[in-house]
Amino acid sequence: MVLRTVLEALTAVMLLSSLALFGRRVRAIAGVMKKARPIVRTDRVGERLASVVEHVLLHRRMFRITFSGILHFFIFSGFVVLLIDIVETIGEVFIPGFTVGPVLATIVDVWDVVVLVGIAMAVYNRVVIKPERFAGSDEKDAFLILGLITAIVSGIIVHDSFYPFLAREVFHVPDPVARAHFLGWGLSRLWIALGWTSPVAAGAGYTLGYLLDIGVVFGFLAYLPYSKHFHIFSAVPNIFVRNLRPLGELVPKVPEESIAVRSFQDFHWKDILDLYTCTECGRCQAVCPAHAAGQPLSPKMVILKLRDALNERIAAGGWQEAPAAPALAGGVVSPEELWACTTCGACQEACPVFIEHVPKIVGLRSALLEDGEVDAGAQKALVAFDRQGNSFGQPARKRPQWAKGLDFPIKDARKEPVDWLWFVGDFAAYDPRVQDLTRLVAQLLHLAGVDFGILYEGEVNSGNDALRIGEYGLFENLAAKNLQALEKAQYNRIFTTDPHSLNALKNEYRKLGFESKVMHYTEAFGELVAQGRLTLAPLRLRATYHDPCYLGRWNRITEAPRALIRRTGVDLIEMPRHGTQSFCCGAGGGRIWMEEAGMEERPANQRIKEALALPDVAYFVVACPKDVSMFSASVTAMGLEERLKVVDVAELLGVATGLLQVREVQLATS
Amino acid sequence: MKIAVLMKDVPDLVEDLELTDEGQLAVDELSFIPSEWDDQALEEALLVKDEMGQAEVTAVAVDTGDVDSMLYTALAKGADRAVKIVGEFGRDLPNRARSAVLAEYLKTAGYDLILTGVQAIDDVDGQVAGLVAGHLDVPHASVVREVAVAGGHVRCLQEYSAGRMAELRLATPALLGIQAARKPPRYVTIAKVRQVTKSASLEEVEGELPEVPTAAVRRLFKPQAAGRAVMWEGDPEAVAEQIVALLDDRKLIRS
Repeated sequence: MVLRTVLEALTAVMLLSSLALFGRRVRAIAGVMKKARPIVRTDRVGERLASVVEHVLLHRRMFRITFSGILHFFIFSGFVVLLIDIVETIGEVFIPGFTVGPVLATIVDVWDVVVLVGIAMAVYNRVVIKPERFAGSDEKDAFLILGLITAIVSGIIVHDSFYPFLAREVFHVPDPVARAHFLGWGLSRLWIALGWTSPVAAGAGYTLGYLLDIGVVFGFLAYLPYSKHFHIFSAVPNIFVRNLRPLGELVPKVPEESIAVRSFQDFHWKDILDLYTCTECGRCQAVCPAHAAGQPLSPKMVILKLRDALNERIAAGGWQEAPAAPALAGGVVSPEELWACTTCGACQEACPVFIEHVPKIVGLRSALLEDGEVDAGAQKALVAFDRQGNSFGQPARKRPQWAKGLDFPIKDARKEPVDWLWFVGDFAAYDPRVQDLTRLVAQLLHLAGVDFGILYEGEVNSGNDALRIGEYGLFENLAAKNLQALEKAQYNRIFTTDPHSLNALKNEYRKLGFESKVMHYTEAFGELVAQGRLTLAPLRLRATYHDPCYLGRWNRITEAPRALIRRTGVDLIEMPRHGTQSFCCGAGGGRIWMEEAGMEERPANQRIKEALALPDVAYFVVACPKDVSMFSASVTAMGLEERLKVVDVAELLGVATGLLQVREVQLATS
Repeated sequence: MKIAVLMKDVPDLVEDLELTDEGQLAVDELSFIPSEWDDQALEEALLVKDEMGQAEVTAVAVDTGDVDSMLYTALAKGADRAVKIVGEFGRDLPNRARSAVLAEYLKTAGYDLILTGVQAIDDVDGQVAGLVAGHLDVPHASVVREVAVAGGHVRCLQEYSAGRMAELRLATPALLGIQAARKPPRYVTIAKVRQVTKSASLEEVEGELPEVPTAAVRRLFKPQAAGRAVMWEGDPEAVAEQIVALLDDRKLIRS
């Protein structure tokens, strides 16, 4: 009976101390969250619960990497199932004769095996496979955690193996589940063979198993919030409070002062929770175009550096004001890392626990920008946006000049009502390489008999990139100019050829009161084709399609362009990374104007290589004016003009409708 | 240390210049931006201030139209004060007159160092630095960079041909025409300018249009196309031959 009393006392002490340590840590983190900026993330409870089921119970994103997904599911399910063991084990010590019954007892042992297999797979993953995504992660912590879990599972087997000897001799109760714990039962045969069944030997063995199990569980509980394994507790709430607003909306409401992040209080509380949810799995790093290009950015390291900085500041007792500590923007996270981001969002898309990297990076960029620290090329673009309303530094008057040379006039939507209003965007209007395409879109609309118009010099850049460089004020000015022009215009629908403009109009202008439905031209043209207003002759060629980040990922428009491409008679072959998991061309977030120094391999070149690996694909179809520029440059630089041709969806339509001669776009029909 | 930076805005040459029927610049059609060399001068002044720790930078502009946003931008970038000289000054204020107006204010304002852009594109007398220095009768150097202040003197570098460089030392008060700042002019966010516009104010100083000799523009003409470009097409080898022949003809090849 002494044994029971000792175990009871030990359990109570361990429970209280681990809860105290756990609570202290959680309170510190919650304190930071409370002081951070507010954001609404507890609405739409039904959807949130459904998303928890999808991403916690069903591991939706985890299974994208099959091996890791399976091993994690094994260990994760163990954490749930083995709660039975904790109840059983503490129960049998505190309540003589307590049992969970043979079925649950068997399940415990089955999951002991499942977890051990999961751990073996995890070790194999880290020791043998060694994915690059773990680079920079705390591997020691990972092995420590795996060791602790192994200890717990071993503890379960050990105490179960000694319990039958104690139940009768020491606790004077029956042990009806001795055989149900088949692993423990098996091990108990060994103890009999060794003769370790006396109350003293069995008591010692049982205590060892109990401490390995329950002791480590409590130790784990205390250690967790200081390690990456805190995600066991934070992942569920973090997924619950994920962003359910339009994905492409970087700033949900007009900021009171600035979007700049200088201290942890300038983050939203969800940003703080993000830091403590990161499991260091590196899936974000694996999909990051900047990282792939050899630039210093890893979304994972941004999160870890911020978390470590916050931990240091909490430990120092003054996380709010830390004058001696390095600045978050430029110190904790370097300017080179921050400016390398293309804001493509692949990191957020890959994160199994819904960490939002891009808003943090943009907030930090904004702080750099306020201090005047910005890439010279980006600065030039910002000044040009401010002065001329476009990144080309061209006069506003020249914006509609692309339309010269068309044999029909284009309506000025500010002066006469139109059915479709076309927001043309900078690159389509000013870039000489893209202007031909812009004219082609106009010809297609004309051919389909669409009553359309543009805003002429009333249109300025949408501000999507300015905002992502961190210049909210400039975004606001640009948006105000566009909204003023849009207010004057009469139209039934608005569409754009530029995914970046689409994103701003659709998602970022809402907080400024603009709520018209905005379409991408691939959606709008899809309708024209469906209505029979454009007749297409099949092209009969094989092509692959590149999803622009601001179309596919941020706005989930992946099917419309594909359907349209197929309607032109194209046999569409997918690249491995497609749809919402497309790979960025490297131009977004202002990157198109910035220095490329230090880049080992441009993301656009990597993407072209990905397309080249597809069998017999000679056409690389794009649906974004920036992609036309980026990928054409890559194909030329790589000397692949004969092998792969970059074409816009509009060109496919042009040939299929007979507007363009085949030779004009060099579509060698096969 | 009191530093003044003389600033002005000039037509934005991104836009095509339009002429009136009388052969004058259609000023109403123009959009104006801060003169880029004045921006350089401001940046250099702010860097000198950062280096010295104790200096006061004042941006000074003659009110020839809408100079407020330029001055507020200077404040947002880090200038301590902004002075606007108001009076009967139009967009067509010649630089000789502008220099006299600035000098009249600077005479009594007690600045130790005055910086301005080495030149501006707005009229033939775009080199305001020399003109103002003449009025003030203070030491002056133009086309200079790398300004440093030490022991009551101002040092700067002046570049000559063939890579020669002179380090100049001027007694204060001194006036410098800045060629380029050590670093590209800093960016200032729209929000910061907006906030400064709300919280700070410009100091207004009365100025008078002085009687100074100025050059009068009789008439401006649009450039006339002189010749036409000739496009050579065809075989690269043949085109290369033609290029070599032309260069040879113009005596641009040493044989």
